[in-house]
Amino acid sequence: MATNQAPKTSSPPASPDGPWGFLAQRWELVTLAVLAVAPLVIPALGGALGGQVTNLFIYCILALALNVMVGYTGLVHLGIASFFGIGAYVLAILTVPMYPFQIGFLAAAVIAVLVTAGTGLALGAPTLRLRGDYLAIVTLGFGEVVKVTLRNLEQITGGMKGLNPVPPPGAGVTLAGIDLGKEFAIDPRWFYYLALLSLAGVVLGMRRLENSRLGRALVAVREDELAAQAMGISATRVKLAAFAMSSAVAGLAGCLYAASLSTTADPNAYDFNRSIMVLCAVILGGLGSIPGTLLGVAILVGFDTVLAPWADSWIQQMNVNPKGLSYLSFSGWRLAIFGVALVLVMRYRPEGLIPSRRLAAELHEGGSGS
Amino acid sequence: MKENAGPAATPLLHVDRVTVRFGGLVAVSELDLDVPEGSIVSLIGPNGAGKTTAFNCVSGIYTPSSGSVRFRGKRLERAFTPGTILRALAVGLLTGLLFAAAAVDVDRLWMAVVKRGMITGEPFTVSGAMERLRGYFRSELAIDQMAGKWRVVSADGSDVLAIKRDLGEAKLVRDALQAKVTARRTGPGTVPDATDLNQRDDGAAPLVALPPVKEEVLDRLAGGKSRIRWRGWLGLLAGLLLGTAGTLAVWQRGRRSPHVVARAGISRTFQNIRLFSSMSVLENVLVGLDRTIPGGVFSMLLRTPKNRRDEAEARRQAVAALEFVGLSGDANRIAGELPYGDQRRLEIARALATGAKLILLDEPAAGMNPSEAGDLAGLVERIRDRGVTVLLIEHHMNVVMRVSDRIAVLDHGTKIAEGTPAEVRRDEKVIEAYLGGEG
Repeated sequence: MATNQAPKTSSPPASPDGPWGFLAQRWELVTLAVLAVAPLVIPALGGALGGQVTNLFIYCILALALNVMVGYTGLVHLGIASFFGIGAYVLAILTVPMYPFQIGFLAAAVIAVLVTAGTGLALGAPTLRLRGDYLAIVTLGFGEVVKVTLRNLEQITGGMKGLNPVPPPGAGVTLAGIDLGKEFAIDPRWFYYLALLSLAGVVLGMRRLENSRLGRALVAVREDELAAQAMGISATRVKLAAFAMSSAVAGLAGCLYAASLSTTADPNAYDFNRSIMVLCAVILGGLGSIPGTLLGVAILVGFDTVLAPWADSWIQQMNVNPKGLSYLSFSGWRLAIFGVALVLVMRYRPEGLIPSRRLAAELHEGGSGS
Repeated sequence: MKENAGPAATPLLHVDRVTVRFGGLVAVSELDLDVPEGSIVSLIGPNGAGKTTAFNCVSGIYTPSSGSVRFRGKRLERAFTPGTILRALAVGLLTGLLFAAAAVDVDRLWMAVVKRGMITGEPFTVSGAMERLRGYFRSELAIDQMAGKWRVVSADGSDVLAIKRDLGEAKLVRDALQAKVTARRTGPGTVPDATDLNQRDDGAAPLVALPPVKEEVLDRLAGGKSRIRWRGWLGLLAGLLLGTAGTLAVWQRGRRSPHVVARAGISRTFQNIRLFSSMSVLENVLVGLDRTIPGGVFSMLLRTPKNRRDEAEARRQAVAALEFVGLSGDANRIAGELPYGDQRRLEIARALATGAKLILLDEPAAGMNPSEAGDLAGLVERIRDRGVTVLLIEHHMNVVMRVSDRIAVLDHGTKIAEGTPAEVRRDEKVIEAYLGGEG
């Protein structure tokens, strides 16, 4: 990872001054290093907390996938969870002992990613001519279609039961005397590292995308489709590429999700709520910004899956809520806090917590600009 | 870059009797215009004369209601090739398979092909799966297991004909019943009779007692074969037609899209500046260079050495284009922050970067003071000297008169005059159109 940074000339001028310049420029490396060392230092990550943080990484991958569509290309996508689900189910079908395929995790993940990318193309091709709200409605509908299909194809997907058990990655593979499957099943840190590694790979890919021909074309289409076309860019092709990439990465997240839970869970796990949650995270963090997206997920999902349960158990320990009243538990206020936080961010920082350089300029155009 | 052809037989751009109507309004009527290679041609006229409409027609934003636009003798359309048909058929086939899967009930198909093989405990083989697939479409009876007992079921699992404790017995019953069903389809005689299968070689008593099965059920099973195939074919056909027709329709609509025109070698700027205002100045030009950068998604993701070289080369070219218009010092500024005149010049740099042979400039000097406009005229001439032909819409008359080789004057959508600057200046119709001549 470290050796493959973009050459200095190609990265836009950050401000490399001062002792913090290095940290600001190479925030990924610093964060990665901290996260990589954390499980060795914090024993709690070997327990339930490790699973929660792994979940957080998976959500980060999903949010980065959505960011390709919503952030870079400016296409409103309300059905990202469906691709997440397709990835999870394809992986499960290819690996569960119930079916005869039972191929390894890696091969299954590759196929699942290809399938989700293909599905994205199939959804994108007929609908790309739609703009704004209309595309949002199509993706919203697609999300529901996928959910209901997963529920109704009972023979294939197991209906509401879902498919399980999804074997852990590396099941049956012994490497240097270590039975990988067993290790994955016992120690959540294996999954922690797998998810972290995948996330790092996705972040690297996104970084390269941003500074590449395709990344510029995506932004150009977002900013002014007609002008982009007048430059010889095929808007259809660019949008299809965005659809495919976004779906593929979401599919990857789905694979990790199913493998880490060792079940696909029921189809309702891939419903509209999840799509919206991820969308909120992307918007909160900053559309089109990688660090922003990651921060958004860390705050929203982290709040929901890590902080809220912890606060609940703490309240219980303090015994302030012996009757179990919902307004005295932290989770009872979860959604309210959510809403208020979103409203505040949209009021005071519409470009998100860590805005992308490009979008900040777009939103403040005419105001502070020129 | 130098391609100064002599007296060109075919002009670079040939606009032939182009008419554009919006509803009842005629924006451009019967416009003829030739732009010879290596020249600067201006299109002038009062506001609302249809100049920008003509531009939009050439650059593929509008499709003319009648007439044609030819660039180097060719129509500016995507060519209809065998590949177009093949692609449409491929999409159609995919849609067809989807429809067929839905029509034959993919859920039960899956159960029959994949799950049933697991239930009977045989190792999964492709040939076995294919056999079960064929069995499904032939509506053959199959063996299933439920609650530890073996069941003889119809292919889709909806009819249960017999329940046996023993797998061998169940198989015999299946074969015997299958023979009965097949006999109903083809008539007796062509298939072994149920009783034949159910007897030992030594002529002893039947191996298993056949369960009582209603005649209607057997009839239904015998008819199931044609029904399921019929549904499958119908689904395939419907999907194929819909998918192919849809793809072709979409192709037809995008046939003259602006990017097709741009790729043919015509680039343009816009009257109301359309930069990618939140990108940097350099990135704007890089978007213009997009098509000259080779490589796909994977070389980008892997950042191969070749990909790096290509990107670096593109950056060099972009910087060169910025130098050409005099913006090299602003490469890293946000495009939207540039002053107005610089934004116009950036648009020109971006358009030039596409490698266009013809560049359409829509009022590049709008809002400039005389000295800036003079600089711009110099820039237009330098563009021409690079071998790029220019078609210009402009209101600054000193710019137009200074740079143009030929001038066409539009008024109310019709061309009222065409000629050298000197000719146009003297033309009475032109004077009338500009100053009003009712009196």
